[in-house]
Amino acid sequence: MSDFLDYGFAQRAVLTGVLIGLSCAVLAFFVVLRRMAFIGVGISHAAVGGVALGVVLGVPPVVSAAMFSVAVAWVIGWIAQRGRISEDTAIGVFFPTAMALGIALISLSPTYRQDLMGYLFGNILSVRPSDVWILAGLCAASLGVLSWFFKEFLYLGVDEEAARAAGVPADPLRYLLLTVLAVTIVASMKLVGAVLVSAFLVIPAATGQAIAGSTRTMLGVAIASALAAVGGGLWLSWLWDLPSGASIVLVSAALFFAALGAARVLGR
Amino acid sequence: MRVRDVWFGYERQPVLRGIGFEVAPGSFTALVGPNGAGKSTLLRILLGLLTPERGQVEVFGAAAGDRRRPIGYVAQRVRLPAGFPISVAEVALLGRYGRLAPPRRPRAADRARAAAALERVGMREHAARRFSALSVGQQQRVLIARSLAGDPDLLLLDEPTAGLDPAARARFFTLVCDLQRDQGLTVLCASHDLEVVSAHADRLVLLNRELRAEGPPQEVLGSRALADAYAFPEPHDHGTDRHS
Repeated sequence: MSDFLDYGFAQRAVLTGVLIGLSCAVLAFFVVLRRMAFIGVGISHAAVGGVALGVVLGVPPVVSAAMFSVAVAWVIGWIAQRGRISEDTAIGVFFPTAMALGIALISLSPTYRQDLMGYLFGNILSVRPSDVWILAGLCAASLGVLSWFFKEFLYLGVDEEAARAAGVPADPLRYLLLTVLAVTIVASMKLVGAVLVSAFLVIPAATGQAIAGSTRTMLGVAIASALAAVGGGLWLSWLWDLPSGASIVLVSAALFFAALGAARVLGR
Repeated sequence: MRVRDVWFGYERQPVLRGIGFEVAPGSFTALVGPNGAGKSTLLRILLGLLTPERGQVEVFGAAAGDRRRPIGYVAQRVRLPAGFPISVAEVALLGRYGRLAPPRRPRAADRARAAAALERVGMREHAARRFSALSVGQQQRVLIARSLAGDPDLLLLDEPTAGLDPAARARFFTLVCDLQRDQGLTVLCASHDLEVVSAHADRLVLLNRELRAEGPPQEVLGSRALADAYAFPEPHDHGTDRHS
């Protein structure tokens, strides 16, 4: 492990991985509570369309992916709020459409296909020194928003109508949470990949849910398991030359099944 | 609380037509009527979650939605993801959140207030348990505690006993009556459970998109308007059928 950390790319990957693990774990808590897992899948695939747009337009892919993902998240949220089409139907329309747009655009730029694989499945070599600051900023912003409005997001997730009645501004906070979700997904793409990031937005919280008796413990376990998955996944990725996203998600899933086993033994 | 000539509709379908009544401070009023009568819609208007097309609503002398005086609200059920580990104490503490602007966190005094509310509804010993592990009747008591934790003057209940057995329903309304009497709470409860709610409320307001009747329970229960609103069939003579 110490050999691995001698490399600059590994240090950057671990640093950004810790930030991403923290952001994803806290966000996963709300994704599970508010049943937003499918929105996460939709936004993460839409982000691929955003990357492709950036390539074609000559804009940094992280910037175009962030803007495109936030726009898609808001449109899905707006359509679902109007109630004419259900949320999962709206996601089912936008997710393949945005993904198809990405594939079509990227096919116009054949030399970019290798990089696209990195965005799809994660690549620890892809985190450049300049990326660390951008990703750190995005993760800090996500964590700041989640921390600032933590109790409001919790109340809305448990009982939206009672929270509205108590004066919690449900609609602005819904769009804010969708924005945080989109930004965190884009920040996670280089390391975990668009295809697998949605799993990382559910599994840590599910691990916490399996063994915790309160939301505080659930959040603590989610953060610990996400960080363990990042550390273990990156090390396995380096050891066996695996895509980092796949190894992180596999370690995360192993921790989830271990938590399920522990819950069974503890009788929870 | 004053409701004056309130009209409301969803997508041009009228749900409430010219509703008007008053609720005296410290009273227990039951809003009764069949499914689709507009009871829940009216409660949402009183909470300020919906705006009437016409008419006025005043709660403690202010427009609906003015939250200077907190309102406790308990709906039919809280539907959490299966196995979500929020504890009973944490659910009760949510009732303090409306009083704490972001990013303020609840302090010891808030936790003490939530614990006292749990004590008041007889659920303090369950504080550390998962909310989802409780029976429906226990969950509803915890939701009452959540409302009490916010120190409300008015409690709005929307079909709070749906899905409960008769004994649990009676226990629930006995608790609500105790709170009304001991803490001077004003209670407005929407229910289609005529029998139980009539035994506890001071007044009934009978609604079926329009106001059909209001007054003391015995008066409303004996009125022709009740049979019309619920469209009760005429008594059927089985003996005559058999022999005809």
